[in-house]
Amino acid sequence: MTVIGYLANGLVFSSIIVLGSIGLSLVYSIADFANFAHGDTMTIGAYASLVTFGAVGGLGGAVLGLPYGFFVALVVGIAAAAAVAVITERVIYEPLDVDSIGLLITSIGIAFVYRALIQIRFGSDFTRFDIQPLRPIEALVPYGVRVTLHDVAIVVSAAVLVVGLHVLLQYTDLGRKMRAMADNPDLARVSGIRTRRVKLWTWVIGAGLAGAGGVFLGLFNQLSPRMGFNLLLVIFAAVILGGIGSVYGAMAGGFLIGMINQLTPFFSDVVEALPIWPGWLARLLESLISIEYANAIAFVIMVAVLLVRPNGIAGEGAT
Amino acid sequence: MSRDTTDAADRRTLLKLTGGAGLVALSGCLSTTDDGGDGDDGSDGSDGSDGSDGGDGTDGDDGSDGGDTTEAFQIGMVDSQTGSLSAFGERNQRGVDLALSRVNEVGIDGRELDIAVEDSESENQGGIAAAQKLVNQDGVPFLIGAVGSGVSLAIYESVVEGTDVVQLSQNSTGLNLTEFPGLLRMSPSGRSQSLALSNIIADDGYDEVAVTYVNNDYGQSLTDAFVDAYDGDVVYNTPHDQDQQSYSGVISEMNGSGADAWLFVTYQAEFATMVNEVFSSGYEAQFYGADSVSGDNVLENTPEGSIDGMKIVVPSAPVEEENYQSFAEDFAAEYDRQPTSWAAYAYDCVINAALAIQAADEFTGAALSDTVRRVSGPEGETVTSFAAASEILADGGGPDDVDYQGVSGPIDFNEDGDPVGFLQVLEVQDHEYEGIDFVEG
Repeated sequence: MTVIGYLANGLVFSSIIVLGSIGLSLVYSIADFANFAHGDTMTIGAYASLVTFGAVGGLGGAVLGLPYGFFVALVVGIAAAAAVAVITERVIYEPLDVDSIGLLITSIGIAFVYRALIQIRFGSDFTRFDIQPLRPIEALVPYGVRVTLHDVAIVVSAAVLVVGLHVLLQYTDLGRKMRAMADNPDLARVSGIRTRRVKLWTWVIGAGLAGAGGVFLGLFNQLSPRMGFNLLLVIFAAVILGGIGSVYGAMAGGFLIGMINQLTPFFSDVVEALPIWPGWLARLLESLISIEYANAIAFVIMVAVLLVRPNGIAGEGAT
Repeated sequence: MSRDTTDAADRRTLLKLTGGAGLVALSGCLSTTDDGGDGDDGSDGSDGSDGSDGGDGTDGDDGSDGGDTTEAFQIGMVDSQTGSLSAFGERNQRGVDLALSRVNEVGIDGRELDIAVEDSESENQGGIAAAQKLVNQDGVPFLIGAVGSGVSLAIYESVVEGTDVVQLSQNSTGLNLTEFPGLLRMSPSGRSQSLALSNIIADDGYDEVAVTYVNNDYGQSLTDAFVDAYDGDVVYNTPHDQDQQSYSGVISEMNGSGADAWLFVTYQAEFATMVNEVFSSGYEAQFYGADSVSGDNVLENTPEGSIDGMKIVVPSAPVEEENYQSFAEDFAAEYDRQPTSWAAYAYDCVINAALAIQAADEFTGAALSDTVRRVSGPEGETVTSFAAASEILADGGGPDDVDYQGVSGPIDFNEDGDPVGFLQVLEVQDHEYEGIDFVEG
């Protein structure tokens, strides 16, 4: 496979991670705690859309190899994830009078509850959307790029959502309020912003994006009750790399982590090809830069970046 | 994000906490997946619920037949009633219940057999606790258990070893159990799978193979045994972690290795992901797999035709033998479904235990460890049911006068405590598993 091929794979995988990490970072900046239930919120979105897609079916036509019904299911998945997050915020996080550490621990418990509920309803086995898997796009195969139309759909949809969020944050009233609140909640409140409402909207947006990420993850791979949780560590790495609390940092971090993860085979090719001296160093690098350590390599790079920029890539910038 | 001076401290706390919580979460993952050893059974899709769950279902009414008032012989069983291997636990329970009814129809010297079942939760710690209760509190001299290879070994090393209790694992296939001769098992070792796979791949004319295996004890040991046995070149041999969201790197490297035969030693979910990625990347290769990659969930979640021609080796009961067929008939009548080989192993565990008890002079671990191998060993008259074997023993026969042929195979434990197992070679045809051959382990 060529470099472009690995980059294309990385782009697809990054899209999913970016969707997950934006929400995590957004909630951190406004609700002020690291939400460990975020991965399982993705799972909720995925399963909600699975059920919807099963109910509505294909609805006739298809775009990018995906039936119309799938997009309906995607919207329902986003809505379901947002609704669950808002209810959790109202019923549990808000009444709890604890600091951010207490909320963090609570969210771990919430994560278990979400996962258990899904497991009770759907069992612990994996499943897939009832969509015919596609072969790679023929025109791109000669260039070593092996992506399907579904992969293109994932990247395009993620791009649309990310651009939409950018517009929302920069050019709308709600976006300005959110940025104000992320900067200084007390000041925002004094100046007449209804912080409680802004907080709820933050949950809606963050969890909605997570729901979308979950749906795409299900399309890309498969659905299982642990799918979101298994990705959570990578998402945290992306958020911390980007600078926690920063949405644009989360985008950059998610993109980088996803890319590095998928580019590992390329790195190991490069290491093999390079004339590294002395020989023992070459052997050491060859055995360490290997596909089995893809996540570890991504984390090492994360640590390296943090040593240079302790607040992450976008650590100095606000939301 | 606030830009005041507390920022850095917050970050640090958060990093610590996320790291710590991540570790906790990960350690949880590890322990649940550690048991490995036993894959799913290809011919079985029935994970349906089973009403009878362990425990006290078979207690009581001692001495109701035969007019004898002595209480029932009690042995113990550690099973995976909950946890990641609970599907095996359900299958085991059906086999055990059927075997118990066979034994108690006849009785052992006028007494009944009773099995106290405890749950291992499919984990080492739960298994040890269950075994400790059975051995130390209930004082059972014979322990059937457990499902996962890691659990079986943990029980052996921390509870059974050094006592005279007999341990017979019903479902463990891990290779390292062979190193513990005192730990018997009814299911064949994974080593025979590795040997069979290496022969099949060589017979199919491939002199290069690419292997990827799940990064745990099970995957590693099976793959090492395969590499030792295979005559051709293993041009790619790399582990992968469980529960990853993408294996496209692994499959593109396998494709890049140039081998036309790809061997997968992993679990169903991981394998299904890989197949989908192979399909959507447009790669072509001849697939081979260990038993743990087969399952109806794999067929359901992979594109039609994407794994046609794949060959898989699974531990199997000798389904063509009359002995097995009558077992399958009884099983189907009782539970309205076909038995799995895992149920057959559990069935044979109980029958073998009952015969050992009947052949022994007294109901102690020392006496049972003497008879447990001999009643099913190659010497003596060949019998295929508990009733027939029991008759010989009741007529004054010794343990060497009986050779019980199990429904799962001839048993015949070797000096390492491993049975002579049967393996079935499955081929995927029209997206269904079809048995094409049998191999004796």
